[in-house]
Amino acid sequence: MNLRLHIWRQKEPGAQGMLKAYDVADVSEHMSFLEMLDVLNERLLENGEDPVAFEHDCREGICGTCGMVINGRPHGPEPKTTVCQLHMRSFHDGDSITIEPWRASAFPVVKDLVVDRSAFDRIVQKGGYISVNTGNAPDGNAIPVPKVNADLAMDAASCIGCGACVAACPNASAMLFTAAKIGHLHALPQGHAEKGARVYNMVLAMDDEGFGACTNHLECEAACPKGISSLFIAKLNTEFVITSLL
Amino acid sequence: MRRLIEVWRSTVFQKWVMAITGVMLGGFLLAHLAGNLLIFVGADDMNAYAVELRELLHGSAIWVMRAVLVISLVLHVRAGIVLAQRNRTASGGRYAVTSYQRSTLASRSMLLTGLLILSYVLYHLAHFTFGAIHTEYYHYIDSMGRHDVYRMVVESFRQPVITILYVVAVIVTGFHLQHAIASAFQTLGINHPRYSPSIKMGGTLLSILIVIGFISVPMAIIFGLVQ
Ligand code: HEM
Ligand code: FES
Repeated sequence: MNLRLHIWRQKEPGAQGMLKAYDVADVSEHMSFLEMLDVLNERLLENGEDPVAFEHDCREGICGTCGMVINGRPHGPEPKTTVCQLHMRSFHDGDSITIEPWRASAFPVVKDLVVDRSAFDRIVQKGGYISVNTGNAPDGNAIPVPKVNADLAMDAASCIGCGACVAACPNASAMLFTAAKIGHLHALPQGHAEKGARVYNMVLAMDDEGFGACTNHLECEAACPKGISSLFIAKLNTEFVITSLL
Repeated sequence: MRRLIEVWRSTVFQKWVMAITGVMLGGFLLAHLAGNLLIFVGADDMNAYAVELRELLHGSAIWVMRAVLVISLVLHVRAGIVLAQRNRTASGGRYAVTSYQRSTLASRSMLLTGLLILSYVLYHLAHFTFGAIHTEYYHYIDSMGRHDVYRMVVESFRQPVITILYVVAVIVTGFHLQHAIASAFQTLGINHPRYSPSIKMGGTLLSILIVIGFISVPMAIIFGLVQ
């Protein structure tokens, strides 16, 4: 298939960027979206042009490194799919595709489609550390965890920190990310020791990074490649208000 | 103390304040609607209700209610504006192409509908509560010597301008509520895969009922069902 891409090109942080059009011919429907960009980049390199910068690592949908907004949707049109797992069969011959970086002032553009997501790392750092020296790895079932809680923790822990929630949110809020991190630890007994401090510090860190506030549009939930539920945001709201007022 | 200030300023707490104050305002709206619907019962009941409201607990109740309402409104509006400004800065420079999946026109225009409600509320208070505008309808006295609220309402809504403004404001409020009701549940921590879809539906349904309820008053007057 033949495609026309409109890709955000920006030389460096703070520079004026713009959408630039590229035609890509003979794209196989079996290619992943990133492979399609690889093909474009090879051609750009052959012509002595600057290739399109984008991030990727595992290319199997588990690391959270990749991410770009495709026709207004983070990670593109398929639900619960990272862009590395998105395939060209989701598009049609002659399609025009607009590709933009995550947009949020807390995620400044580094170059083209690459944004700086270290704000997420700083939020996670505020989540605290395990203050007890636990020695060797404990016996698997030494601490009983009810199945419901284990499942809940696993659901939240499936967050790969890609930032699609922020990119999708009209307010660039990081609530789904923060709520998933908090929700995952709080569903387990090991996470209870520092529960109050964790919610408090992570929410404040999230605000300090300049993310927006949640207005319950729930775009994040729709965009999340792991389908993380807004349930965790509701839980975070309650936990934050209760712990900070007590 | 520093902690309290930090908590107060946080987005999560301000959002929670919005939800609590929003629920207070919503509760008032329902009570107000019930009061308005007395017009279908009759002039006597409506005017008697107005007197009772002002004299409840030796006239102190209405001032407590007014204080709670004014505080709620101020906190709600303040948080709404502060958060909206923050969100604008945070999202700065958005996409060339947008494709919303879950948000709605209502959820994306909360500040606009809110500010429209606020302007209407000020006008509405000046008209019916303070009698500062449209004064010609304010001074009716009924046969028992009471402030004739019934006649004030009926005569007022015979003016097309007053009715049109009112209907528009009610629809805008319905729009605000359509997102607000389900949203308040989420903010207050109530989210369940089984019940959330019903909460959303219920919110929309309640908003529609509130709109119909409020609009039924001028419609009944215009079509002569209430004289
Ligand atoms: C009849 C009066 C009003 C009622 C019943 C009402 C009710 C509500 C409720 C229940 C919410 C949901 C809170 C949440 O999402 O948790 C809300 C949100 C909101 N209200 Fe109101 N409201 C009223 C008037 C106003 C006014 C006068 C403004 C003026 C600025 C306003 C601005 C907002 C904004 C901006 C939001 C969204 C905030 C957010 O999503 O973060 N509202 N309202
Ligand atoms: S590259 Fe690892 S998730 Fe896409």
